[in-house]
Amino acid sequence: MAAVEHEFTLPRVDSGPVSLSTLLAPGPLVLVFVHADCPTSMLALRRLATVDDDASVVCIAEERPEAAARLARRAGFSHTVLAEPAPYAVSRSFGVETVPTAVQVGADGAVVGTVVGWDAAAYESLLGVAFDGEPRLKPGCVARGLYGERPGGLDELEDMLERGWSDGLPVVPPTPERVEAMLGGRDPARSLGLVPPAHGDATLERVASCAVLAGCRPSYFPVVVAAVEAALEPRFNAHGIAVTTQPAGPILVVNGPVRDQLGVNSGMGALGPGARANAAIGRALRLVLTLTGGARPGALDRATLGHPGKLSCCFAENEEASPWPSLHVERGFEAAASTVTLFAGDAPLSISDHRSRTPEELAATLAWAAAGQWSPFWWPMDDTSLFVVCPEHAALFADAGWSKERVRATMFEAVVRPASELRRGETTPLVHAADDATAVRKWTSPEKIVLVVAGGEAGRFSAVFGPCDGMKTEPVTKEIRWST
Amino acid sequence: MEYVSPIDESVREPISFAARPVSVAGKRVALLDITKARGAEFLDQVERRLHERGAETFRLAKEIFSKPASTEVIEEIALRGDLTVEGLAD
Repeated sequence: MAAVEHEFTLPRVDSGPVSLSTLLAPGPLVLVFVHADCPTSMLALRRLATVDDDASVVCIAEERPEAAARLARRAGFSHTVLAEPAPYAVSRSFGVETVPTAVQVGADGAVVGTVVGWDAAAYESLLGVAFDGEPRLKPGCVARGLYGERPGGLDELEDMLERGWSDGLPVVPPTPERVEAMLGGRDPARSLGLVPPAHGDATLERVASCAVLAGCRPSYFPVVVAAVEAALEPRFNAHGIAVTTQPAGPILVVNGPVRDQLGVNSGMGALGPGARANAAIGRALRLVLTLTGGARPGALDRATLGHPGKLSCCFAENEEASPWPSLHVERGFEAAASTVTLFAGDAPLSISDHRSRTPEELAATLAWAAAGQWSPFWWPMDDTSLFVVCPEHAALFADAGWSKERVRATMFEAVVRPASELRRGETTPLVHAADDATAVRKWTSPEKIVLVVAGGEAGRFSAVFGPCDGMKTEPVTKEIRWST
Repeated sequence: MEYVSPIDESVREPISFAARPVSVAGKRVALLDITKARGAEFLDQVERRLHERGAETFRLAKEIFSKPASTEVIEEIALRGDLTVEGLAD
C-alpha cells in the first residue's frame, strides 16, 4: 500500500486500529473531528448520521475509545468512528483548532478542503447531500488538541471555563488523581440520586469532581456528600430552588465536632471570606447543582438577579458562644454528632443593635429587621427566616435567662400590624380579605423563626437570611458520616 | 489532559420539539394551571379562543407551581390530550 500524506493509525471504537491509508483504499474521504463536550459536534454527528455513503465519512473523536463510542451512540452515528485520546497528534497534524472540523482528504492523503463548525451548505457541497432542519450555521468549540498549545491562549484553567465546569471563577481541574484522592476509596459509581432540574445522576465520582473543582480538601468530602444528600430530599425542593426567578440558593449550617476538625469558621467573619472550608464546601454544592444538576444561570436557573451567596454560603454554628441547644440538637441529633443543615434563602440582611439593654428590646429589633422580607407588605410569610445571632446578642438573652423558645415567641409576637397598613403593592390573600383592624403578623408561626449563633465575640451585628416564600421548601439536616 | 467530568452526559442529549399542528380544530387540548396567581384567568381566555377554533379542552392543575407536575397529571395529559397549554407565571 502506497504511503499517504498525514498517515496515522487510530483505534476504531468497534474494532482494532486502522490506518489512514487503509481507510483511503476505497477512495477519498471526509474526516470529521469532534469531541464530547461540544454541542456543535453533536449536532454535526446527528446530521451526518443520515448520510448514506458510510465509506466517505469518518469521525475522529478527541476522546478515549469508550467516550468516543458513547458520543457516537448518543448521536446515532453508525459510520466509522476513531478515538484519539491526548495528546491529539492527528488533530494537530491536520491543523484542527475547532470542532467540528471536516477535512476532505484525497486518495493520496492530501487535504482538499475543510469546513469549520456546522455549515450545512458547505457540508452539502462537500458530500452532495441535503440536510434538513435548523440551525444551518453553528459555531464550533475549541479543539482539545489546542489546549495549552497556543501562546497566551488556552491553558488548563481556561480549559475548565471553556467547558463550562465553573461558577465563573477559576476552578481546580478535576484530574483522575485528584478525584481519586477526593473519593478516598469510596465507590465512584455509588449514586446519591438524580439532581434536578436536569436530573443528572449524582454519582460519588461526579460529586468528587465538583468538590475538586470547588477547591475542597479530601477531608471535606463527607460534608459535601451530606449536603448533596440533604439537597436531594424532596422536602428541600431543589427543583423549585434551582429554576425559580427568586434569588434563592442553598445555605449550609455545619454543627458538631466536624467544625474544628475541618476548620469550618463559626467565629469572626463566619459569613464572609477567608476560610477555605466554608468557601469550598458551599461552592462544591453549588457546582453539583449547576453542573450535575444542570441549573446553569441564564439557562435552567432563571433567577432574575440571584445573589452573591449563590456562589457559596456555608458557615458553622458557634456552639461554644451559644446559650441554647445548637441547631442540630434542636433538630433531633446528638450533640456529639456532626451535621449539615440546608436552608433555602436569599441574601442576608445585617441587623445592627448596640443599644438594646433588655431582651424584649433586642428581640423586637431583630424581628422588625425582617418585617420587610420578601416584600414590605407581604404578611404573613409561611416560610423560614434564618436568623444568625451574634455572640454579644446571644449573651444578652443568656444573661436574662431567656430560652430560644422565649426569644422566638417574643419575636413572633413583636411584629404585628393592622391589615389597613398592609394594603399596598404585593399583599397576601389573608390581608386582602381581612377587616382593616385585623392584626396580622409577619410569620404564620414562631417555628418559622430559626435562630443559630455565629460570629466574632466583639460587635453587635446579627443577620437574617431572606426566605423562599411560596416555595414549600423545608430545612433538611443530615449527619456527616466519615465512611460515606 | 484527561479530567473526570462532573456532568452526566446522558441528560445532555437535545430533545426535539414535537411537530406543530397545522390547526387546533378537533384537537384535545390540556390546559395546565401551575397554580401561580391569575394563571386560571389566563387559561380561561385561552380556553375560550381554543373553543372558537374548534378544539376540545380539559383542565388540570399542578399541586404547587414550584415543583414538577405529578406523574398522574403528566399521564392524564398524555392519555387524553393532543396538545398542552401551560399557564406559566403571574
